Amino acid sequence: MRFLALSKVHAVIIAVVIIIIVGGIAAYFLTRPPAPTKIIWASTQLCPPEEQAFVKDELLKEFAKETGIQAEFVAISYEDLATRIESEEASGKVTISVIGDLHGGLDLFASKGWLEDLSKFGALSGRTFPKVLEDYSKMHGIKAYVPWMTATYVMVINKKAFDYLPEGLTKDDVIKGTSKWTYDAFLAWAKKLYEETGSAKVGFPAGPKGLFVRFLHGYLYPAFTGAQVKNFDSDDAVKMWEWLKELWKYVHPSSTTWDAMADPLLREDVWIAWDHTARIKDAIVQRPDDFIVVPVPAGPKGRGFILVIAGLAIPKGAPNQDQAWKLIDYLTRPETQVKVLEKVGFFPTVSEATGKIPSGALKILAEGVNAQVSTPDALVALIPSLGPKGGDFKNIYLTAFDRIVNKGEDIKGVISELAPQLLKLFEEVGAPLPPPDA
Amino acid sequence: MSKPNKLILERYVPYILIAPALAYLLFFIGYPLAQAIVLAFIKEGGFTLENINYLLYSPSSKFFEALYFTLLLALVVIPIQVAIALGLATLLNIKFRGRNAALYIIILPLTISDVAAGLIWYTLLSPNGFFNKLLMNLGVISEPIYFFGYQYRHMEFLAIVLTEIWRATAIVFVILFAGLQLVSGELIEAAEVFGANAWQRLKYIIFPLLKPSLQAALIIRTLFAFQVFGVVWTLAGRDIPVLAGEAYYEQVELRHTGVAAIYALVIAAMSVALGYLYIKMFRAKYLEAGT
Repeated sequence: MRFLALSKVHAVIIAVVIIIIVGGIAAYFLTRPPAPTKIIWASTQLCPPEEQAFVKDELLKEFAKETGIQAEFVAISYEDLATRIESEEASGKVTISVIGDLHGGLDLFASKGWLEDLSKFGALSGRTFPKVLEDYSKMHGIKAYVPWMTATYVMVINKKAFDYLPEGLTKDDVIKGTSKWTYDAFLAWAKKLYEETGSAKVGFPAGPKGLFVRFLHGYLYPAFTGAQVKNFDSDDAVKMWEWLKELWKYVHPSSTTWDAMADPLLREDVWIAWDHTARIKDAIVQRPDDFIVVPVPAGPKGRGFILVIAGLAIPKGAPNQDQAWKLIDYLTRPETQVKVLEKVGFFPTVSEATGKIPSGALKILAEGVNAQVSTPDALVALIPSLGPKGGDFKNIYLTAFDRIVNKGEDIKGVISELAPQLLKLFEEVGAPLPPPDA
Repeated sequence: MSKPNKLILERYVPYILIAPALAYLLFFIGYPLAQAIVLAFIKEGGFTLENINYLLYSPSSKFFEALYFTLLLALVVIPIQVAIALGLATLLNIKFRGRNAALYIIILPLTISDVAAGLIWYTLLSPNGFFNKLLMNLGVISEPIYFFGYQYRHMEFLAIVLTEIWRATAIVFVILFAGLQLVSGELIEAAEVFGANAWQRLKYIIFPLLKPSLQAALIIRTLFAFQVFGVVWTLAGRDIPVLAGEAYYEQVELRHTGVAAIYALVIAAMSVALGYLYIKMFRAKYLEAGT
């Protein structure tokens, strides 16, 4: 073949050319200026595409402009994050500089000694974190994370409902969440609405994709029994289920098909609804004058409610820790926090931010959320981090609801049958009971 | 080529011809099926009955309820659909003005996805929806009729039946209508000459000739009925559990992959069994054998 007939001269020329090219490339890589500092920020939050776009195109661009630090946002699932941190910590080659995750996940990381004690960086100036957030972020002997964002579930009330308040309850009680705004008062209100308007005006997102289960384990259980899990089959729990059965007579029957309460509120199927802030936001945005966001009622043991806390932490031995701290500083500034609220609906963790929210729907929401957190009898519940068993956890409460309220089975029988399963979940995963239990 | 060679080739040609189809089936049906069996019965390298036990005995499992409602739904919906489709097909077999337009209108719901169909009917039937508003404005009712919610499970069931009939009758209709076109007019004319009345013509001529189409329609419809999901999920959530819905719930919400696999296998087994039954029952006796 021709190729073999290549002359020696040609071969040498080709070889020289190749050597020059390879050498050139090597020289370029060896001598080029070092890349600007790049830190990796792995987060289990703000992962949906549009939220990621907001983080990358707005938040981090702004941050880079200000500090010259390039931060790479890595959206990651909780399971993947846990695996990655574990292997990086084990091998001692840590690449992640900042972690953004929910309280439960950070709790686990801190318990394994995978997080830096952030108290060494000092305080962040110009911002105050509410005490409850500050307290939760300190655990296992260290300041494990800086509170970053919160979310919660609240009640929305169509102002028309205030014309039907039961005796002894005022509009002010409800809006401020005084000691008169109890579950018994709520039941009386629901009953009165039903009797005087002729239809059930209270609704819950109890559909298959709804978050009603959070109301059961994070609101009713703490309010009636003082705990989410450990008093699952107590006598107080029996009273709670009896109360719920009674309430359910005045709850809109279509509740079991609703996944989010914005539409039922807008259609005026119901006047009082409970749901995640993000899932009622639409109703308030569309008709800000008709609705008001209020704290949830209190039970015998306090005003139980769930606070979803996302925090920012630095893995132990992480590279570029000073830059990482700058990123945390940037993300917890009041202005940045308001931007996050406006774009993705997570609430600020610093008190200064609330004053900076422009009036309108978001302000109505933020005021309601703030009123709820500030009630003196607040009993904060955190969602347990059971990883893949989280679905089973929810399903136990839903099964109890289905059998007790829908099917009318004996309360004590159902909850004592389910209680061991519930505790077994925590044993299998090795997770601690979530506050307020622990 | 020599003669023996040709013979051998001829012997293998059929196999070669079906090989692509076979490969397709093996890859897209055989492999997932095997995978489902592995998911359902193998755990950490060993055989396990854990998933079956969960399915049958766990208080969290809604298997029997789901099985009951899936079968009930099929039992109620399919006969109604076949009757309506048969009626429509015979009706449209007569030529009249606007027949094509009517055809398109009947087939239209077929183009809508099941979730969309569910949402349409949910909006129509909700307490503040079109249906209730209409009746209330006409003074027929003073209180809205509730279709949704656990307390109204029978109404939810009705809503599902209505939606399914609206949505999926068309597919039965299309198949039967096509089948009807194949029935030779000469035969019917001959029957008329011999004095057969309309019922006799239907029973002795049209129906036997329609059997193959009916069989196809029933198989397809029943398979769909066992897979019903979107409509039920949007209209009734888990108030009325069905097999496919539970499979989805176990997989997506509870992450019980093995249990979800069993649901899938149960649906597959039921479909195969019923398909076999239909084929046996409807073995067509061709009147003009050999043509």
